[in-house]
Amino acid sequence: MPDSASSILQGTLDLMVLKTLEHLGPLHGYGIALRIEQLGERALLVNQGTVYLCLVRLVQKKWIKAEWGVSDNNRKAKFYALTKAGRKQLQAETANWERVAGVMGRVLNPQSGS
Amino acid sequence: MLAFFNTIAARIRGFLRPGDRESDFDREMAAHLEMAEEDGRRRGLTIEEARRDARVKLGGTTQLRESWRAASGLTWLDGFALDARLGLRMLRRSWGLTLAGGLAMTIVITIATVAFVFLDEFMGRTAPPLDEGDRVVALQSWDVEAHRRRDVSRRDLERWGATLQSVKDLGGFQTIERRLTIDGRPAEWVRVAEITASGFRLARVVPLLGRWIGEGDEQPGAASVVVLGYDVWQSRFASNRAVIGQTVRLGESIHTVIGVMPEGFAFPVNHRYWIPLRSDHAGSLKAAPEGAVFARLAPGVSLDRAQAELTTIGLLPQATTPSGRSPAQPTTGDARRPRVVPYTFAFTDDVERGELAWQQRIILLLISLLLVPPCLNIAILVYARTVTRQEEFAARFALGATRSRIVVQLCVEALVLSSAAGAVALAITRPILFQIGEIIRRLPALGGSLPFWVDFDFSWRVGPFVAGLCVLAALIAGLVPALQATGRVLPVALRSLGSRTRIPLGATWTALIVTQVALAMALLPSTMELAWGNLRPAVLGPGFPAGDFLTARLAVDSQRIPTAEPDLPAFAARVRDVQIQVIRQIDTEFGVSAATFATAVPGAEPLTLVEMDEGASSGGSVRRYVRANEVDRSFFEIFGVPMLAGRAFDGRDFGSAATAIVDQTFVRQVVGDGTAIGRRVRPVAAPGAEAGPWYEIVGIVPDRPANTSQGRMYLPAVPGTRGAAGPIHVALHAGTDPAATSRRLQEINTNLDPILRVDDVRRLDEVLAESQMGGHLTSYALAIVTLSVLVLSAAGLYALMSFAVTLRRREIGIRTALGAQPGRLLASIFGRALRQIAGGVIVGVALALVLHRWLNIEVEGGWHIPGILPAAAIFILAIGLLSAAGPARRAVRVDPTEALRDG
Repeated sequence: MPDSASSILQGTLDLMVLKTLEHLGPLHGYGIALRIEQLGERALLVNQGTVYLCLVRLVQKKWIKAEWGVSDNNRKAKFYALTKAGRKQLQAETANWERVAGVMGRVLNPQSGS
Repeated sequence: MLAFFNTIAARIRGFLRPGDRESDFDREMAAHLEMAEEDGRRRGLTIEEARRDARVKLGGTTQLRESWRAASGLTWLDGFALDARLGLRMLRRSWGLTLAGGLAMTIVITIATVAFVFLDEFMGRTAPPLDEGDRVVALQSWDVEAHRRRDVSRRDLERWGATLQSVKDLGGFQTIERRLTIDGRPAEWVRVAEITASGFRLARVVPLLGRWIGEGDEQPGAASVVVLGYDVWQSRFASNRAVIGQTVRLGESIHTVIGVMPEGFAFPVNHRYWIPLRSDHAGSLKAAPEGAVFARLAPGVSLDRAQAELTTIGLLPQATTPSGRSPAQPTTGDARRPRVVPYTFAFTDDVERGELAWQQRIILLLISLLLVPPCLNIAILVYARTVTRQEEFAARFALGATRSRIVVQLCVEALVLSSAAGAVALAITRPILFQIGEIIRRLPALGGSLPFWVDFDFSWRVGPFVAGLCVLAALIAGLVPALQATGRVLPVALRSLGSRTRIPLGATWTALIVTQVALAMALLPSTMELAWGNLRPAVLGPGFPAGDFLTARLAVDSQRIPTAEPDLPAFAARVRDVQIQVIRQIDTEFGVSAATFATAVPGAEPLTLVEMDEGASSGGSVRRYVRANEVDRSFFEIFGVPMLAGRAFDGRDFGSAATAIVDQTFVRQVVGDGTAIGRRVRPVAAPGAEAGPWYEIVGIVPDRPANTSQGRMYLPAVPGTRGAAGPIHVALHAGTDPAATSRRLQEINTNLDPILRVDDVRRLDEVLAESQMGGHLTSYALAIVTLSVLVLSAAGLYALMSFAVTLRRREIGIRTALGAQPGRLLASIFGRALRQIAGGVIVGVALALVLHRWLNIEVEGGWHIPGILPAAAIFILAIGLLSAAGPARRAVRVDPTEALRDG
């Protein structure tokens, strides 16, 4: 169901990128895209380029910062890292997501909630 | 919220550095693809497969780049910059449109900006340039019924000063005129501020030398002191620092100089001399602009709170307060109310505060509306050009550009033009404002200088105003034709893309161009006659050597006019005696045949409405505006004016006989055919008002000054008959040394009864030049407006003709190939357009006739030019033909082969 996958992505890609950077530390765009593909079993990313649009947005908001560096394979790559503001935003977004997911879980499955 | 602002800032940075941004993106994509390829190869793919796989997973790079640009920059600003560049290119290409449209826009934006600065200076500014100037206020007595500012009694001033808590440094001033005598210099009349000591505390400006006026100086019996302005100190005392302690004579009393104020200080209005307002001064303080009560709002107090407190305290009744009566209770019928207003507002006019803001807005709106006619003209040209660019737009439309995108592009192009016009307007407004400032400064009421808060400089408000005008101009000139063109042109152009079928200009637009021609034709004769009428006196001269004459004004010292009604007749008799005395003295000094007097300076006489007795040429009573002067017996002799018919004034005319002498223009305009001698004329105060007594015309003289458009009527003048305050003017031969004569006239002043003064001594040619200045400005304004209408008409006609050629290019090609004669070809192509122009000219001629009849050109200061109407019609037709010359050349040069291939 690619349609539903992409619509989920619109709202959650920022959160996934932030979480990835928190979990793995500074990482280049390709690495982030690969990680999201792996976790989402290739269902969440329409294409890897979408990650870069998300990264531009997050840099502009100063939630992440970008810096040119050298990759494990000795290649020049742009590395993204979480900022202090980004960390706070991630906490807020995670709490919000868990609250929404909890509510949605109870709505969709009333028996398990009671 | 912070994230939002960060995003905006980052996008602006991205917009400003597009090159860095793009290369960064390219490098990042390259790195991504390399890493993805390496991964692919590790998974066992070939190089080609790995490369393909990496690109597929990344997605379409073009689309990604566009999305990334949209996310990282300011897309609309990028588009705007591109449109602006295209607009500049179009301005260079369509230089005809640029010149014609730019000129018209510049003229209107300049007029509107000048008006805006003027209104802003005199009406809009509320804070004078003083320390915390916005806290300085004026307290007034406002007559709500008469809608006028009234004098404030000295007792009210004291009461307000003693009781008001919401203001401090309360005080007052009034302007008086005094004859200043400094040792060794001729006396001169100066404007002096009689001011309370608090005025200096309020202004918070430290004296350059000495001290301010203090409370002690206001006390009865205190020594008379004066504080001087910087200019006075420089010009009269040669910047001598030992001026303190020296004495000057102001009127009847000797004043000791106690201080000199720094450069630029002119509080309360435009003063250079300050003397204390004595506390025993029993009269009232004159209402603004000649006087005012000023104060500074106490810290933390608003204008409204001050008003509330002042309303509670109120004004004393106008009559003497009977003991035991509350002063806060106004007497019955007393419509005066105290009010607090921002300081500079007090000097604006007799208006309420809100009212002024509305007046200002309405004036600005009307001025801004001036933009509409020239912008509509430009809209015609822009539309015409847009239609010629139909293929360009159709191609863009086909490639995916939306209609709104094309509309925006056309609007931005118009904005580029209007912005250029706005920039030029801003540049030329400053010198124009300077000139206007100089003219206003010379007004006698201002005493040679403007209020100290008026500098005719640009405030920050001018920027948004001009920017707003530019946007308005761009919307009218760009949006209307853009919507029309994209609505009409695009579908046709799209269908015909490739076949090159062209759409016609459209009936509405053609009609507009023809209307424009009619308008130009209608306006041209009247504006030419008006302009010539105004310029004629300067070009052809006054008909006599005006530079050989000096004029001087004998004016009553307004301070000495009694306020009590019963004293007036005795005062008037005294004025009359002194006037006779002065005239005798001048006669003795310069010779009877050298000097004369009149109630107005020749050439600057007031306009008066007069009517003839029955039997005038038109059969009924004719009413016309003429210039009227009252002159003494020697007036015509001194100016060397011969009698053309009838007789000069003699002894009987200066008694009870009511006689008049008129000039040739008067006879032509008012009397018409038949003899004027023996006919009767009388002044009418205003249309509909009761007429004055009849005067019998006894003589006819040539026009003096000559070449003006208004007739003149002379009545015999008797000193003192103009009432107590009416000034009279002396005119005399300047002799071989005009400067010496002028000095001697000034000196006569010092020996006179102080109720009368001799001032405004000037050469008559200067007076004439000044009286013509307004007319010259009118002429220039008319010339500029006419020129812009003509230029726009010519540009419109050019567009019309160009269309005729472009539309029929194929037909021209065929006919040329078939051997058609160029003359016949042109006649058939332009025949229709020329018929339209001729129609416009005919309608214009009819309108011009109506306008001429309705306007009464000579009364408005114009001069009838014989044959102006046919000349104007020929001129307009010539412009039409000239506009057709370029397109005609193109038409006869059309290459049949190319035209057939393209078409």
